[in-house]
Amino acid sequence: MPNFKLDDREIPFEPGETIIRAAQKAGIDIPHYCWHAGLSVAANCRMCLVEILPPPGRPAMLLDILAWDADKQEYLPQKKPKLVPSCQQAAADGMVVKSQTSEHVDVARAAVQELLLLNHPVDCPICDQAGECRLQDYWLEHQGTKKRMRDEPVHKPKAVVFGPTIVYDAERCILCTRCVRVSEELAKDPVLSVRERGNLGEIVVAPGRQLDHPYTLMTEYVCPVGALTSIDFRFKARVWFLRSTRTVCTGCATGCNSFSDFDPRNQKVYRYRPRENLAVNKFWMCDDGMLDHRRIHEGRVLEARIAGAAAAVPTALAKAAELLAKADPSSTAVVLSAEHSNEDNFALLSLAKAFGISDVYQSARPAGQGDDILRHPDKNPNTAGVAALGKASGLKTFVEFVEAIRGGKARTVIALGSATPTGGGAAALSDVKNLIAISTHEGPFVERASVVLPASSWAEADGTFVNAKGMSQESEKAVTPQGSSKPAFRLLAELAALAGKPFAWKKLAELRAAMAPAAPRSVPPESASLGAE
Amino acid sequence: MAETTIGFEPPALVLAGAIEHPLTDITSYRAVGGYAQLERARAMSPHDVTDQLIQSNLRGRGGAFFPTGRKASFIPTPDKVAKPIYLTVNADESEPGTFKDREIMRRVPHRLIEGCLIAAHAIQSKHVFIYIRGEYSTEYDVLAAALEEARGAGLLGDVELTIHRGAGAYICGEETALLESLEGKRGQPRSKPPFPAIQGLYASPTLINNVETITNVPKVLELGPQEYAQIGAPPDSTGTRVFCLSGNVVRPGAYETPHGITVRHLIEDIGGGIANGRTLKAVMVGGSSFPVMTPDELDTKLDADSLGERGLFIGSGVITAIDDQACIVQFALRVAQFYMHESCGKCTPCRVGTRWLVQILRAVEDGSASENDLEVLLDVCDRIIGKCLCVLGDSAAMPVASCVTKFRDEFRAHLEHGGCPFGEDSSLAHLFAPVDQHAQVTA
Repeated sequence: MPNFKLDDREIPFEPGETIIRAAQKAGIDIPHYCWHAGLSVAANCRMCLVEILPPPGRPAMLLDILAWDADKQEYLPQKKPKLVPSCQQAAADGMVVKSQTSEHVDVARAAVQELLLLNHPVDCPICDQAGECRLQDYWLEHQGTKKRMRDEPVHKPKAVVFGPTIVYDAERCILCTRCVRVSEELAKDPVLSVRERGNLGEIVVAPGRQLDHPYTLMTEYVCPVGALTSIDFRFKARVWFLRSTRTVCTGCATGCNSFSDFDPRNQKVYRYRPRENLAVNKFWMCDDGMLDHRRIHEGRVLEARIAGAAAAVPTALAKAAELLAKADPSSTAVVLSAEHSNEDNFALLSLAKAFGISDVYQSARPAGQGDDILRHPDKNPNTAGVAALGKASGLKTFVEFVEAIRGGKARTVIALGSATPTGGGAAALSDVKNLIAISTHEGPFVERASVVLPASSWAEADGTFVNAKGMSQESEKAVTPQGSSKPAFRLLAELAALAGKPFAWKKLAELRAAMAPAAPRSVPPESASLGAE
Repeated sequence: MAETTIGFEPPALVLAGAIEHPLTDITSYRAVGGYAQLERARAMSPHDVTDQLIQSNLRGRGGAFFPTGRKASFIPTPDKVAKPIYLTVNADESEPGTFKDREIMRRVPHRLIEGCLIAAHAIQSKHVFIYIRGEYSTEYDVLAAALEEARGAGLLGDVELTIHRGAGAYICGEETALLESLEGKRGQPRSKPPFPAIQGLYASPTLINNVETITNVPKVLELGPQEYAQIGAPPDSTGTRVFCLSGNVVRPGAYETPHGITVRHLIEDIGGGIANGRTLKAVMVGGSSFPVMTPDELDTKLDADSLGERGLFIGSGVITAIDDQACIVQFALRVAQFYMHESCGKCTPCRVGTRWLVQILRAVEDGSASENDLEVLLDVCDRIIGKCLCVLGDSAAMPVASCVTKFRDEFRAHLEHGGCPFGEDSSLAHLFAPVDQHAQVTA
């Protein structure tokens, strides 16, 4: 691989790669606002300017300037190097680039920083971007001086509602056009543009339109300042109180890599953010996925129930064990769930095996809208994982499950999951004599179950999900189990033990080792993630 | 509108035959040898035509003074690219003080068209666009009529020539912003590279030349490159210039002279000196985008090298005389306001910096500034120059910085006087200034 020198480090690069991207991959953040690895180059913020030394034997590109001569007490003509934007300049083998070590670059960055803040309202205390704002970070790193302009800053429209998800503040905007490019290039809907020119410029939505494509939250996500805020997250939390874990979006079968940002004090997830994985979601997530964090806290089943009445989890487990122990294996079935992780589904398969239950079915959330960007019509995160795990057990469909109920072949059922697929005949569940539902959310299973065991959601447990491309991805636990819930695989282990046939594995690692032969190879979360934008 | 005074010192090339009366119809143009060079050029190989341009050392008259032949040689030949090749003529003449392309289009539209067709042959282009400033309506009419004549006479052959009218933005005179505008997009410059020769109009190889440059092309062929290269101030500043003389001179006008005459000769002899018996204070040379010249530099020759030695530029051939009745702070403010108004807003230093320049200059003018503000002013200029996406930011900062450094005493006088010592007496006091949109938005 060819190399270039950035300050005193050798940086490898792919041919054609820009300086800033190669540096980013090597873990060096060249200061920037308008550049984003997933978008076209705009080169408009001028923050990423670097000095490139001329090749040996070639003259440097020099500019004539006036510099203050302290001895002569006047400005004298001098020369300084012409700086280049590292977001646009392709790296070349042997190139020598000065970034932190160039005094000219220092001045240029301080200049851009000062100019960007010149008309900025500096309303950080009430700005949602505070704490993760490049204007703040770079002021500290590259400016650190007081404002030198005494005049009133330019005033522009504030709190402009762009659509159902986004609010815009033109005074905070630095016109980097990342949001414009996200709409054009990612969402393929050029609904945003810049109106007016010069210092009067502002981002506007096309006349007669709203910012309402399926990727609007990506405009807020790429906004390097507080100009675009998400109605979902606005004024909800201060980001410095939030912690992040590496998760996988469970909103559909694409399996976008995400961060779950949660407040450890109240164990609440406040938002998702995309986590870079070029093989899955590149840098992005859709609005459905971004807002799917709400399901962690909404519509949840947080207590156990017996015949519809609240019960303690141990009591419900004992009741379920009793039903299981009494059941005739030939009229007993288990229902796997594409909503749940491999671990949960494997635990249920283990239970089936231990108790001689041979009928294995599956449930899933209904299909929905897809596109050729990220959204998959299969709204389940683990359809492929369930298919792989259940293959040896002759996994059958939900339609076949409904037929089995009607044929009296599924009198006792242990079901994982909360939803049933479209046209799945949820009503048939009423005909199951003993329905043990291990569910995260209210829904057809919980409504009709004899015993409900509250399962923790994807955000409350480590889990593995296999996306539509067959990639097995780990999602990490963000918050502690909500209410009385426990991870489904734990509930199943306790149930098996209570019913007299304990599993061989006790810990998650042991479960995963036992599952390994049947499950697709696990792909760990992208370790070189750069999704800290 | 009063007719512009036209004059020349031999040899007239661009305006040849059109000094007394415009040569707008094809018959009178043919009578002075018009379109003969097109016929000759088409009998030559494209490479040979480009070669003649290289040998003549004809350079761009739009401001950058880049060798025209060399630029044409950057265009790949049609066998190397699977895309159309475009020739685009920049007739978006908007640099303050510049009015030469206007006279060329009014007086010798056919010479421009002939130049286009020869240049198109040189780069094997079948598509020519002339991007004309929107405000140039008479010029558009004259040029469009000439084009119809040329088309009727079968001179275009298989070349399509289109005249496109701009919508009034200064920035569209910048070549890549011009291309964006021509493509129907927002007029904002592109970051280079790639250069237009490789990826220009519709991402295809594009040669962009100024009107005056292209109008020189038939003359290069007519005289032959060797003879052309002897005119003016060889080796670097060959041929003539249509200088745009304006300001406080007795006879402002468009004057074609060889490169290398002195500024003094142009102002005092050709222009009749400073009007109303006043004395010269400063000269805007090249355009408003460049540092100003002081009277002690008047004997500088108008060629790129002589000007370059003094940190000055020949630009688009502007010479605007400013007399001692004009307040230089008002001049700098007026220039800065122009660039603030015309900044496209794409890149940070120009978008924000040009407005800051205006704010500080206004404070100097109204007496609320301090010595420290002058330092800030120069620092802001330094923080703009060389850091922008295109040269518009530099164009604002360079003249302002030169005014402060070359007329520091007059700036200080404003500070000491608590405002403008000229006040209402300055000749610039009542000149049109652009509406301050920022003030409107604030209110």
